[in-house]
Amino acid sequence: MKLVRDTGLLAWRRAQQLLRNPVWLFVSLTVPLLYLALFTPLLKDLPAAPGLGGNVLDEFLPGILALLAFTSGANAGFGTLFELQAGVIERLRVTPASRLALLLGPLVTGMVSMFIFDLILLIVGIAFGFHVHVAGLLVLAVLLALFYLAMAAFSTAVALLTKEITGFAAIVNGINLPLMLLAGVLLPISLGPAWMGVLAHFNPLYYLVQASRALALNTFSGGAMWEAFAVLAPLCAISLAWATRVYRRAVA
Amino acid sequence: MSDVIEARELRKRFKSRGRVVEAVRGVSFNVPQGEIFGFLGPNGAGKTTTLRMLTTLLTIDEGEANVAGLDVGSAPAKVRERIGYVSQLGGADNLATGRENLMLQGRLYGRDRAHVAARVEELLGLLDLASFAERQVKTYSGGQKRRLDVALGIVHEPEVLFLDEPTTGLDPQNRANLWQHVSTLRERGVTVFLTTHYLEEADALCDRVMIIDDGAIVAEGSPRELKRDIVGDAVVLRVGEEDGALARINAVLAAAPFVRSTTQGEDGELHCYVDDGPAALPEILRRIDSAKIPLRAISLSEPTLDDVFLAKTGRSLRDSGAGSGA
Repeated sequence: MKLVRDTGLLAWRRAQQLLRNPVWLFVSLTVPLLYLALFTPLLKDLPAAPGLGGNVLDEFLPGILALLAFTSGANAGFGTLFELQAGVIERLRVTPASRLALLLGPLVTGMVSMFIFDLILLIVGIAFGFHVHVAGLLVLAVLLALFYLAMAAFSTAVALLTKEITGFAAIVNGINLPLMLLAGVLLPISLGPAWMGVLAHFNPLYYLVQASRALALNTFSGGAMWEAFAVLAPLCAISLAWATRVYRRAVA
Repeated sequence: MSDVIEARELRKRFKSRGRVVEAVRGVSFNVPQGEIFGFLGPNGAGKTTTLRMLTTLLTIDEGEANVAGLDVGSAPAKVRERIGYVSQLGGADNLATGRENLMLQGRLYGRDRAHVAARVEELLGLLDLASFAERQVKTYSGGQKRRLDVALGIVHEPEVLFLDEPTTGLDPQNRANLWQHVSTLRERGVTVFLTTHYLEEADALCDRVMIIDDGAIVAEGSPRELKRDIVGDAVVLRVGEEDGALARINAVLAAAPFVRSTTQGEDGELHCYVDDGPAALPEILRRIDSAKIPLRAISLSEPTLDDVFLAKTGRSLRDSGAGSGA
């Protein structure tokens, strides 16, 4: 109860900040929109590519949603760094507020804004011919939330441990590109050689992308969805537990 | 009254680049309720580290601390309910208004909205925040922001308020203003524990002062006691340019039975510490006169806490003062 209340208070605090300084909201939305506008047209002229059957947008948009969950989560630590340097984190840590709530508050707000962006992307997608399958998208939303939370908790913990932008950016950017390339967000991994496929299986984002493609077509069988749950649910739990522990101990 | 803070043999070590640094080495003290207790020392002396252990932000390596009747090591969550803490950075949310900051802070202590709203109203008056309470904190001046930080620290009516370098970065006028507000808190029964590297602050504000250097306490008492017991009154003598005049005066006075100690200051000044300055002056003059040393000027000066620090550590706090951190 206290956890829910504290989380709500801190989530609302972050929401107010965002509403007062909305510039970066547009920045976060720009990247996925650019992918949609400037990358999808390229795929349209690749009809022979294996693994890209049917409507290009139906294949590509789900990957963009997964990518947005990834980048939103990875960037969560920037807010933490900023508040760490302003002493806000330390002030909150001396209150009796639940440590998990200190972590979850901003994450809940980040997740809500991610879903708002997802809706915007879907609406834009529909305008260009994306086929909506509601049940599949609802299940996908759960997976996106799990992945976002895992990534954002990780990013927050890294921010608390590195305490300054250089170390934090090195780690987050360092994992950013390899994870993205090895997830088949832009093009299916099946286009590449076998070793890439093997490596991809160590990448949690790969499971999310695979499941997002299946679920966008309302495909619940075939294992992609279950594999994603099996990977992302424990990953999320571990990441949250670790970040809470870091919050408890952080020497800010 | 009982002691609000009891610290016993606190120790804290940090590992830095493979070396172990002992930041706090066996610090013990008691703070009775209703006092303004100052923790004075140069930067890096271990003030903030001690403060962070008492406020649950750092684990205690060795020793025990009892704050507001609770053991910090075993009940940190309960301790947090009873203490307020204002860090050097303050930590107000810049994008929120002063009132919003205070409301959230109060609610994080579990109080309901109506209760917090009433308390915030009271604090806005107490700390002169009312006229800008609806503005975002980023528009505040240094003094305004600092008063808000203090208000954030006491919104839940804690038994003890910890202030870490509360006036660093404030101009003299705002500093005096904040001292006034902190004194008001004491009158309302709040115990205040503050760290500072400003001698004037310890002197003007604190009922009792503890001087820390290099992780260990070197002196403790009221500013008046410290100055009287450790240093005494200072008689400052100036001599002419003649060779050896200063050394001769020093020899004459150091031999006098009523002189506690002497130090040669800068530009031909001699500081001579005695128990009772006014009574010692005629005798000092007599001895210098009979030794036929030309004296330019003599004055009686109140000792400062810097004299205390100098007497205890051999260094001046002013020299080791500037900078930030720790």
